[in-house]
Amino acid sequence: MRVLEAQHLRKTYRYQGKLLEAVQDVSLKLSIGEVLAFLGPNGAGKTTTIKMIAGLILPDQGWVNIAGRNPHRDSRALRSLGAVLEGNRNLYWRLTPQENLEYFGVLRGLTRRTAHQRGRELLERFGLADKRRSTVQTLSRGMQQKLAIAVALIHNPQLLLLDEPTLGLDVEATQTVKQLIREIAAEGRAILLTTHQLDIAEELSDRVAIIQTGKIVIEEPTSELIRQFSGTAYTIELEHPLDAEKVSKVQELGGTLQGQLIYVRESDELYSILDVLRPLPLVKIYREQATLTDIFLKLVRENPLD
Amino acid sequence: MIELFLAELKRSWIQLIRYSTEAIGGIIITTSIFYGLFLSAQYIAGPGLQFGDRLNAVVIGYVLWTLVLFILSDIAGGLQNEAQTGTLEQLFLSPFNASKVFLVRAIASLTIQITLNISILLIIMTITGSQLFFPPSLLLPFITVLLGAYGLAFAMGSLALLLKRVQQLLGIFQFALLFLLSVPTETWVGSGRVFALFLPMTSGAGLLRDLMARGLELNWGQWAIALINGMIYFSLGLFLFHQAERETKRRGRLGGY
Repeated sequence: MRVLEAQHLRKTYRYQGKLLEAVQDVSLKLSIGEVLAFLGPNGAGKTTTIKMIAGLILPDQGWVNIAGRNPHRDSRALRSLGAVLEGNRNLYWRLTPQENLEYFGVLRGLTRRTAHQRGRELLERFGLADKRRSTVQTLSRGMQQKLAIAVALIHNPQLLLLDEPTLGLDVEATQTVKQLIREIAAEGRAILLTTHQLDIAEELSDRVAIIQTGKIVIEEPTSELIRQFSGTAYTIELEHPLDAEKVSKVQELGGTLQGQLIYVRESDELYSILDVLRPLPLVKIYREQATLTDIFLKLVRENPLD
Repeated sequence: MIELFLAELKRSWIQLIRYSTEAIGGIIITTSIFYGLFLSAQYIAGPGLQFGDRLNAVVIGYVLWTLVLFILSDIAGGLQNEAQTGTLEQLFLSPFNASKVFLVRAIASLTIQITLNISILLIIMTITGSQLFFPPSLLLPFITVLLGAYGLAFAMGSLALLLKRVQQLLGIFQFALLFLLSVPTETWVGSGRVFALFLPMTSGAGLLRDLMARGLELNWGQWAIALINGMIYFSLGLFLFHQAERETKRRGRLGGY
């Protein structure tokens, strides 16, 4: 079931007398249970797009539909939306986690009783129950971020927008937040995620959209994108160095040697080289696989700033 | 809507009680300033002079001024703070529209402002010996002053949304407010009196001085004028706020600071 549909979004700002086209004809779709990693360099238009989807920035053109409603015309659309924007600054620092959850729950349309109940459940689930009575300002940055995500989930929204959810977190807190995002997606929510940590995007996302100077340059399922950009070359890692005779045979077959590593350009050559190596012990054989970081850098360099 | 009001009430009181030194500091500073002015005026006037109902009138003007300053900094200063802490955008993600959220919030925090102001009023009355009347009818002109105050606060809140930095403007504006609330325009005659009818909160403040300082009965005709005045300023404030919300969303500057 489709939760989000944004079509032909455009936004132009006037900055110091010049027109800046922040977002140009961006369309995005997201269904239940799907995680879309929305990637792009700084200033590419990610946050403007997310805020147009959330109804916080008015698009010059285009429309947004969240669970059947346009958030710019019908505020009931916001009942289906939760958002964590700009790091961890989405909370009242002088209130406790429980008080924040209750307040934002009512603000999102829950009764105080339901907000209280949901708040307790979320604190338990997010491992914050023992911090229920501490004020937010005394919590670590990782805990504040977990709480911000809990607050965004208080009204049980179908769509969650996460803008840089792991920014400024240490390794452990990043792992915890990553695990939470995985669990939230597994519950069947749609998640739109922006991050500069591409390993996280690669691990969590079903689809990737890359935006550059306000335009989407590619949108593909993550596994398909990685397959497309991965080569046909293989690497064979040997346990011991080869003798001179085997070295020359491998080279004749098109293999390249570097210490105990043999690089094979095409898969056709692989089995002939393996015949030469038989029965020497091998450590591993693997196909060279592109990472999202390689793909991102390649695409961003191919589509330089206007 | 009742649920939202109760949630706002809880949020504001928790923050007040948890950080009560700020509120106590505010009360001490506000009363000290008045006491300082009172002692200076006594020194100028010389010993043995009785201020009578003029002191009472000044006390009412001063306490109203502090109340309006609290309301203004609560809404306009609050918006500026929330833009800084990042909670402002979360408020705009509510299915209740933003004007409604801020209005409910303002009414909830009014309970705090009134409690603080009653404390200030009682301390000032004790240290200056001022004796005021408290007829139940004072609530009627008080409402007209509140309507004007919220109108101005929302107008200032519109500027806070658009510009984000309003602290300096609030500082200058507070002197204009002192004029509006403490100048006894009810004693003016001729065209000055007519002019005063158009000023925000002034007619209501004048009626409060009549009732509480001079012990007069409520003039219903003047109250009706003060009420219309308050409603116009209140509607204007909400209208400007709504426009500013739209303009800020158009400029994409809601969360920016």
